[in-house]
Amino acid sequence: GQEFQFGPCRVEGVALQELWEAFRAMKDIVQAKDNITSVRLLRKEVLQNVSDTESCYLLRALLKFYLNTVFKNYLDKAADSRIRKSFSTLANNFFVIASKLQPSQEKEMFSISESARRRFLLFQRAFKQLDIQAAQTKAFGEVDILLTWMERFYQ
Amino acid sequence: DGVAVLPAPQNLSVQSTNMKHLLMWSPVIVPGEIIYYFVEYQGEYESLYMSHIWIPSSWCSPTECPECDITDDITATVPYKLRVRATLGSQTSAWSTLPHPFNRNSTTLTPPVMEVTKDGFHLVIKLEDLGPQFEFLVAYWRREPGAKEHVQVVRSRGIPVHLETMEPGAAYCVKVRTFVKVIGRHSPSSQAECVKVQGETLPL
Amino acid sequence: HIAEDTSDLLQHVKFQSSNFENILTWDSGPDSASDVVYSVEYKRYGEREWLAKEGCQRITWKSCNLTTETGNLTELYYARVTALSAGGQSATKMTDRFSSLQHTTIKPPDVTCIPKVRSIQMIVHPTSTPVRAGDGHRLTLEDVFPDLFYRLELQVNHTYQMHLGGKQRDYEFIGLTPDTEFLGTIMIFVPTWSKESAPYVCRVKTLPDRTWT
Repeated sequence: GQEFQFGPCRVEGVALQELWEAFRAMKDIVQAKDNITSVRLLRKEVLQNVSDTESCYLLRALLKFYLNTVFKNYLDKAADSRIRKSFSTLANNFFVIASKLQPSQEKEMFSISESARRRFLLFQRAFKQLDIQAAQTKAFGEVDILLTWMERFYQ
Repeated sequence: DGVAVLPAPQNLSVQSTNMKHLLMWSPVIVPGEIIYYFVEYQGEYESLYMSHIWIPSSWCSPTECPECDITDDITATVPYKLRVRATLGSQTSAWSTLPHPFNRNSTTLTPPVMEVTKDGFHLVIKLEDLGPQFEFLVAYWRREPGAKEHVQVVRSRGIPVHLETMEPGAAYCVKVRTFVKVIGRHSPSSQAECVKVQGETLPL
Repeated sequence: HIAEDTSDLLQHVKFQSSNFENILTWDSGPDSASDVVYSVEYKRYGEREWLAKEGCQRITWKSCNLTTETGNLTELYYARVTALSAGGQSATKMTDRFSSLQHTTIKPPDVTCIPKVRSIQMIVHPTSTPVRAGDGHRLTLEDVFPDLFYRLELQVNHTYQMHLGGKQRDYEFIGLTPDTEFLGTIMIFVPTWSKESAPYVCRVKTLPDRTWT
């Protein structure tokens, strides 16, 4: 079947097309609310040239942030039922992926996990420089950037 | 909220076959009146992170029948909580919640229905349309001792498809099972069906 | 000062993308004057500065080719159009956020169908795109989409189909009846992006079998 392979971390049971379908259903609505076109949170420095091994650490940090900070508060404001259904698909599938990402915590992996942490902090710092609501809307609108990056690890 | 005087729907259960999920319950009866039901769901994420959030079902908010096709609402392989309430005008019942959360990986997968025919030397198979989540693993072999079994993944649904060009005078047998990627499970295999190039479909 | 409603000067500003040819298009309003000129700017999502598109400044037609300017597949873009009427009215409208990877549609493949006596050969030709690699050479669709594959269907006397498919470019449907007409359709699929091209269709007739004549 189809699966993700983030270095040593393997994730089954998630159909990437279903995630794209869910995001496409709300993309224009969500991105239209983000009028700060001069700021991109998931910049090249965060996602480019990430090694396979590092990808598991980085994605786990990003997904946990999305689940705890971005999605958690976004839905309260998303009255539109079309968004709620798509949101639920994304959130629950991100939850499945995050729960299956168990990167190694061994000492020799410290430099790789540290590199992933620095990349995540770049993203988090950019997030914190914005007003919280604008930051959540922007991060939510950048799920397509995250999905595009995840494509590379989908087999 | 209307005052809860209507009895809440009882005996909620989910019947799931081949990734089609049907929520059912016992109807609330008020003689001479039409009762409407509202169905809502919550994935594992919502129940853990925002338990006050319930999402109206795509097709049953409201519905008159005491059942609801929730297939389009179940879009992740996680446990889903489901609840139903009845309404009659401004009267509203309490919510009834499914006793155990439903996960689509518990669906029952049945052997797929297939039709094996031939056209000249062409072995042709037609498979039922079970939706985009299904792949069909078609095994076919020449009916003779030591024959090798060939397996082909067929995705086209509901259209007769050429499987193999047969040798004259030989008999070929076919069986098929399904594979559902998002839950990583196979169905049982169907019964084998055989055809002979010049003869009729042979009973096993 | 009541803002003048100039929305009828300009509407439907959007990208249309096919095989990574990215064209910006727009419409004038239903009753806007014909003496309106348009100027186009674009920028990368995340950058501050808008860049004027050379060749699309003060133009009177309603489209602008931004293929080169929006050719980086890892970037997302915005474009905007400013309409200016002779009477001094102006309006500016911006596109949605655009990613050619997400938005481009796939054109039908280019195929050569070669009939033989008991088979039909189909050769799929690679599709070049305007997207360039680091060294400047143009990428094909297969280069851009690693999971791209071709799907070939041959309709046999309206009752069933023969299917072939894969990543290679050379296919042959065998075991066919001589001197018979078949309908072939060939499509491009990119599963992870849920992209599917319109079909290339060829109607061919197998050659007569002259072995016994």
